[in-house]
Amino acid sequence: MLTIDHGGEGVVVISGRLDASQSPAAQTFLDQVNGPVTLDCRKLEYISSAGLGVLLKTQKRLMAANGGLRLAGVSRHVRDVFQYSGFDKIFEIEPAAE
Amino acid sequence: MNAVPEARHLSARDLEPILEVAAKLAAPFDLTRMLTEVSDAARHVLDAERCTVWLYDRESDELVLRLASDLKDVRISTDKGIAGACARSRRVINVSDCYADPRFDASLDRKSGFRTRCMLTMPMVSYDDRLVGVMQVLNKRGGVFDSFDERLAAALAAQCAVALQRVRMTEALIESEKMHQELQTARVVQMSSLPAAMPEVPSYDLYGATRPAEETGGDTFDLTRVGERVLVVLGDATGHGIGPALAVTQMQAMLRMAFRLGADLEHAFVNANNLLLGAMPADRFVTAFIGLLDPATHSIRFHSGGQAPIFHYRAATRDFAIFWPTSPPLAAVPLEALKPAVTLELHPGDILALISDGFFEYCNDTGEPFGEARVQALVAANANGPMKRLGDLLYEAVRTFAGTAPQEDDMTVVVVKRKGPGGRGTFKRAIDAVEDIFRFTEETFGREGLGPDLRIPVDFALEELFTNVVKYGNQTDAGVHVEITPIAGGVEVTMIEEDAIRFDPTERPPVDITLPLEQRTAGGLGIHLVAKMLDGLQYSYDEARREGRTTIRKMTPKAEGAA
Repeated sequence: MLTIDHGGEGVVVISGRLDASQSPAAQTFLDQVNGPVTLDCRKLEYISSAGLGVLLKTQKRLMAANGGLRLAGVSRHVRDVFQYSGFDKIFEIEPAAE
Repeated sequence: MNAVPEARHLSARDLEPILEVAAKLAAPFDLTRMLTEVSDAARHVLDAERCTVWLYDRESDELVLRLASDLKDVRISTDKGIAGACARSRRVINVSDCYADPRFDASLDRKSGFRTRCMLTMPMVSYDDRLVGVMQVLNKRGGVFDSFDERLAAALAAQCAVALQRVRMTEALIESEKMHQELQTARVVQMSSLPAAMPEVPSYDLYGATRPAEETGGDTFDLTRVGERVLVVLGDATGHGIGPALAVTQMQAMLRMAFRLGADLEHAFVNANNLLLGAMPADRFVTAFIGLLDPATHSIRFHSGGQAPIFHYRAATRDFAIFWPTSPPLAAVPLEALKPAVTLELHPGDILALISDGFFEYCNDTGEPFGEARVQALVAANANGPMKRLGDLLYEAVRTFAGTAPQEDDMTVVVVKRKGPGGRGTFKRAIDAVEDIFRFTEETFGREGLGPDLRIPVDFALEELFTNVVKYGNQTDAGVHVEITPIAGGVEVTMIEEDAIRFDPTERPPVDITLPLEQRTAGGLGIHLVAKMLDGLQYSYDEARREGRTTIRKMTPKAEGAA
């Protein structure tokens, strides 16, 4: 339901559904990344508050080390969730081309 | 092209009247005026008493007399008379004594009372070597036509041929443009009378669409509320062009009016038939399905005037019942009474599919028609999805099947689906069960024809509500149930928690989403987001049964303006 993997220098590709049951695996993966990271979200269909929690925790850790998460190719649903939660102020978000 | 004696050359002075004529012939744009000009010019230039201009009709190989002071629209075959001989030989024929010439047809003289003495007949041939007509000048004043007149006539005839050709082509162009514009107007009227939006009827998915052919066809449909019922119409007027387009528009207007005024099905049908019979040409008729859906009893009563086959897809058995017309097409014969109407019952998941013959009869490059079996297969295969999607797929399938073959007829589809009963699922209290919930929503939404724009927010809400139950609810094996119910314009979803502690998500304190990063947590965000993303959130708690019910609603988002 969710795959997350390295996609080249400073890029992590995430696809599928980042829901409560997939969040622990995503967290484990993201705990290993460092520096400025672009999260390629073009194939991320869905995110819940559990998924937001994973990204928030990662962002806090990376920002403290002068890094950070940038989200690219963000779908309509995912963008709505970020906007309604105010997370669009915390992450740099680049919407998917429509 | 003409065997004209070279006796005398035309001088500049001789040409003067012809050049005057040329200037005159440049002006007219209608055939009648042009024929008058040509005729006057010939009489003037050749000093003759009368001039007759025959136009050549290529299709019938006849000469047609469009203008003479006392005769109208005479047709002669090109194998008759002097004019015919001229048309065939394309040579000037100079006859000094007509009544001595066996080819001369004196019947025109007899009809007109004019006596033709001598006659010069010349072919009018255009630049592209097409015969435009034949010109005859009669009775040279004070004598007979000589070889000089023949030369003059040949030059004049060439001028006239070009002028006439131009006018005929212009007229044909204007006529076709006029037809085209009238057709466009009729099409606009026809299309504008179609329902602008599908009526929203609880537990029904209604969809209709029509794709007009380029030039022809007269399809219409209707899906519109009349009181508690829904009028369902598919109509197809025979013939080509403007007539059918306007006939179906008229029929649709009559039916809406009749039903809104409370007419019953039989009266509306018979009256529409008899009114159309009076209003339409004798060789035209309209095939039409006219039905009334009663959503309260889930039944459709209909009459079909020559419209068939009518497909009733039965979800329980996944097969089709096929219905045939109850009456001749509308406007075919006067109707006094009708056979009884047909009533069909729609059970959950059933579909009534009305498809115009533009689908069935659409032939591919090899001449094979799309046929009924392909339509049925598509309906059956897509019965679980939204009806708009079924409609789109039908058009797409025909397009693919047809290849480069053009659309010859209007193609119209009207589908009435009684939605399924929704769904209910039970889930164990574990975080991983959210995946089971998503499978359940995907399956149920698919069956009910509810799209992802509804499913994703619902999934979101269910996940947030469900994980709250798992994390903060009672540690128990009691079930958590999810019920999905389609409602008009959206969906209602209820999560039922057995053995519940009272927890009202609507009473949660608001989340401050403006805090800086370091102060933000994901806690409490879920319910905040549910409230934002859904269109309704209600909670009730039954103390006696220790049962919590959270109901959410999501309505289909209104289409946004084009970006």
